[in-house]
Order: sequence, then C-alpha cells, then structure tokens
Amino acid sequence: MISEPIIKLEGITKIYKTGEEDTQALKGIDLDIKKGEFVAIMGPSGSGKSTLMHIIGLLDKPTAGTYLLNGKNVSKISGSKQSDIRNSEIGFVFQQFNLLPRTSVLDNVLLPTIYGSLKKAKERAKEIIREVGLEDKMTNLSNQLSGGQIQRVAIARALVMNPSIILADEPTGNLDSAKTKELMALLSQINKKGATIVLITHEETVASYAGRVIKLLDGQVA
Amino acid sequence: MKFLKIFGQSIKALFHNKGRSFLTVLGIIIGIGSVIALISLGDGVQKNISGRINALGATTLTVMPGAGLNLGGGNSGQNRSSSEGTRGGGGFSGSQSSTLTTVDLSSLRDKTKNQKIKEVSGNISASSIFNVASGQQRLSVTGVDPEYFNIEDLSIEKGALFTKADVTKTEKFVVLGSGAAASLFQSGNPVGKNLTIQNDSYTVIGVLQSKSESGFTNPNNQIYVPESSLSATFSIANFSSFTVKVDSEADVDSAKAAIEKTILKNHGITDSKLADFSVLSPKDLLSTIDQITNILTTFLAGIAAISLLVGGIGIMNIMLVSVTERTREIGLRKAVGAKTFDILLQFIFESVLLTLIGGIFGIGLGILIGRIAARFLAFEPVLTSFAILLAVGVSSAVGIIFGIYPAIKAARLSPIDALRYE
Repeated sequence: MISEPIIKLEGITKIYKTGEEDTQALKGIDLDIKKGEFVAIMGPSGSGKSTLMHIIGLLDKPTAGTYLLNGKNVSKISGSKQSDIRNSEIGFVFQQFNLLPRTSVLDNVLLPTIYGSLKKAKERAKEIIREVGLEDKMTNLSNQLSGGQIQRVAIARALVMNPSIILADEPTGNLDSAKTKELMALLSQINKKGATIVLITHEETVASYAGRVIKLLDGQVA
Repeated sequence: MKFLKIFGQSIKALFHNKGRSFLTVLGIIIGIGSVIALISLGDGVQKNISGRINALGATTLTVMPGAGLNLGGGNSGQNRSSSEGTRGGGGFSGSQSSTLTTVDLSSLRDKTKNQKIKEVSGNISASSIFNVASGQQRLSVTGVDPEYFNIEDLSIEKGALFTKADVTKTEKFVVLGSGAAASLFQSGNPVGKNLTIQNDSYTVIGVLQSKSESGFTNPNNQIYVPESSLSATFSIANFSSFTVKVDSEADVDSAKAAIEKTILKNHGITDSKLADFSVLSPKDLLSTIDQITNILTTFLAGIAAISLLVGGIGIMNIMLVSVTERTREIGLRKAVGAKTFDILLQFIFESVLLTLIGGIFGIGLGILIGRIAARFLAFEPVLTSFAILLAVGVSSAVGIIFGIYPAIKAARLSPIDALRYE
C-alpha cells in the first residue's frame, strides 16, 4: 500500500441548524484513507455516515475542521471549485435514482463528460461499459434495466472520468443477495485495478468486501 | 464545447417529453402566428394603398371642398356619393354645397398668380341611370376639362377627345372609358352614337385606351363629359374638385401654398384655419394613410401579442413543473460536476428552444393565415424581414423572460436536497 493519504480529515465537525436547536451530526472526525484502499463506513442511521459522505464527496462543507483531498485543502473552496473536483476526482454511486430517466446507458455514462473535459469520451465510456459487463445494453434506455444493471451503469459512470475516489452510498440497498454479491465482486475487481473506494453501508456482509471498516456512532469514529 | 453539450442535453430533455413540449409550443405558435399574420396583412394593406396613391402621380394635387383632410373623395372627386341634382363631390357632406367656383378655376389657371401650375381641370361628379346589357344601372358621370386627360395620362383609342372650345360651347359630347364603352354599347364602335344622360342627349365622340387601374377610381369605367355641359345638365354651379398638375415634384409644396393662398383670397378668408377647402398632395394622403394603417397594424398586433404573453406564461408553468419533476435529475447532474450556471443554462436553453421552435412554426402559420386571408381580400400580404426578426426576437425574449425564473429555481437547488427529494 502507498503511504500518502488520498483523503485526510482532521477534526471535521458538522452542525445543522434546525429551528432553535442545533444538531451536531459530526463531532470532530479524524480519518485517513490511502490511495487504493477499499474502506467501508458503517453505522446505524443517524450516526452521521451520510453527512460524512457528503463532506468527503464535496456535496457539503464542514462547519469546522480541515479536509485534504490529494494533499489539497478543500474544506473552504467555492461551490464552482467543488463542482470541478466532484467532476474530475470523485465518482458517485447512489442507492437510488442513479440514472437519468429514459436515457441510454451510453448517455448516462457520458453524463459527467458534459461538465468536464475528457478526450475520446465516447470510446472511454464504451470501454468502461464493457468492463462492467453491459456491452450488449449500450443503447438500452435506463428504464429497461434491472436494479443490478442500473448499479453497474452507475459504477461505469463513476469511473468514466478516472476519478481518485469512488464514493458508493448504500449501492446494494435495493438489490437482492445474489445481485449484491455480483456488484460487490465488481467493486472489488475495480479496487484491485487501483481505484480507491469508500463505501457506506449498514450491512456487515457488504462491509466484509472492504479492506478496512470504519464504524461511526453518534457522529464520532467508534 | 461544453455549451454545445449542454445544448444537446436540452434538446434531449425536450424530446423526452414530446407531447408536453408540443402543447407548450402551441401557445407560442398561435401567438407568433397571429402577430405575423396581422403584421403582414397590415403591411399588405399599406402597400396596396400606397401603390394606389403613387399611381395618382407625385405631381398631382387635388383641391377638395370642405375643411380638413377627408379621404373619402378620391383623386378627382368622382365617387359613389354623387347623386342627381345634388353636389356629388367627395370630401364634404351632402348638406353642404361645394365652395369651388369657376372664379377659383380661372385664378388657378392665371399664370401670373400660380407660376408652378402646369394644368388645372375643374371636375364635377354626378351619376345617372343608363341602359346596359343586364338592364338599368346607375353609373357615375364626370365632368372634366380637356386638361384632365393629360393630367391623368388618358389617351384616345377611337374618335377624339373634347377640346377647350367644346367646353366653352357646352357641347354635349361624351368620351368613354373602355370598360364603360363595353358595358353601354356591348360591341361595335360607339363613336357617333347617342347617349342619354339625365334627359339630355349626348354624342359619343371618343373611347379611351384601356388603362391599368390606378388611384381609387378605375378610369376604364368612367363616362367623361365637358364640365360645363354636365353643370348645365345637372344644374350644378360649383366644382366637386380641381385636379392640378404641377411642373415638378420639387414644386409640389410651393404650388400647394400658392393654391391655398389664391382660393383663400377668392373666398375672402384671412385665417387659413377657417378654409372651406383643402389641398391634398399624394404625399399628404400617403402619410395619413400610413399613419392610419400603422396604428391599425400596431393595435392588432398588440392584441395578438397578448396571446404570446399567455403562451409565455404557459412556458413558465411547464418549466416550473419540469424543474420540480426533475429535482433529482438536477441533483444527480450537480453531483457529477454540473455547476449552478450549467443547470441554469440547460433550463434557459430548454425554454428558449421551446419558444424559438414555436416562433419558427408561428411564422409558418402566420404566412399561411396571411395567404388564406389574401384569397378573400383584394391584396397580397407583405412579409418583411422586420416582421420575421421581430417574431424570432420576441419569441426568444419570451423564452428567456419566462424561462429565467424556473431556471434559477433549478440552478439554486442544493445537490444534497435535490438527491434526497422524494
């Protein structure tokens, strides 16, 4: 393993102002994730794992603390810069509503390339669709796909820009155990090829595919 | 490049909702269509009327009895309102008798007073019942001076025109327009034949060459007699109008002023505001008609524009629904790197595309309506590039104005909230 951390969180705090009471979702998280790691973040609902993923994924800003991504402090950057980094450095796989409706597999995988610059985007997208085993579904519309296939397309889309990290938020949440196994095998395979994967789940079996499991409880690393 | 890609996304989004897009566009199509149709018809009317006024000749002035500009009279005072025994001149009400006298006519002919005037004809309008092929018909008869044929560029085909001497001697001569000759005498040469006008027997001495319809009266359908004879036949003392020919176009304004001065003096009126006649130049007519048709066109197009406004509100409504429906799509786009501006652009593109497509089809619809309307009307619609630019500009503006609010709403969504949206 390479020693340089790709994600370095120091004292990350997130406070939500909900009415008169403040909710502290994250209470000073310190976390290092190294390049090429496959990390699972686990915790019961309300433990702050989604908030943590949003901060790691630059969808949200921490109230306090520093976040170094590839050695660069990204905790206080502008929304526009956040967008750029999300586009080039982070690939998302969500639990649901991963794909544009009534849009082909290829166009869905190409979605991030609209907002960034990638040479030979179409070739690259086709290559990745082949990698996730959907070459025969290239032109199928997203509503003609099964749950497992949808998640594979989402993974292909997450990979298309060659990001530093893949962030998967309960990617198997809507899948049966057989499909879950297939998908986790695919993610392990991608990880072996060198991608850093941060997975959020509350299922032990899913977490067991990861090289390291980080448990969150009440906004702190347990 | 990114611009084009986002544009592509907008097109795809519209195609995903073909039915809805079409219905939304329909409002704009109707709005732009009616604006285009009304503008092109309005321009058509204007062009038609301008053409007729230009045909009057740029150097021809018309003096009409009555104060103020009255467009009912036509170029030489011949019009439908004329009737036996009463003064038939255009431009003044029936109860009022004409104020244009023989004294006025001879003053206008006085070269020492009016140097710029080339020729003057005193005209009297009347009408009488004639026997035609289909039975009896009332036709208008115009008493003129021989100068009239010169001024109106009418030339003889058969026989001869009457002369100044004929006018002086109140000869009962008739010169027929080609159409009038055909309807009164069907076939054969009418020259030498008699024609009864209001119990007086007249002799046809000439038939005019056929001339393309110009101005507001068709010279081919006219029956011309010496003004002095008509005056005697109908017991009309004064003229219905004077037709004045000026040397050159540059002299029109000074000649007009000179005519006004001369007749005012004859009538003993010192304040020109109290004049009992008016002098019309083709330019005056043209600008008045332009003014009227412009007001009309603007007014009608304004009404049509209201439907455009309604169409625009329709677009805004649909775009707002679309933003709500696609909240999670917006969240997803933002998650994979779309910036606030990118989302704004996509939604603006969508609404502008809708209105622009509506604009283009609306122009088509407008042309179609114009063509169909023209079949029932006597003129051709005129589609100017201005009208097309206006339509395209207005529809794009409608797209931007009514699309901006939904687009801002979409662009401002936070990706987390958008992704969580149920």
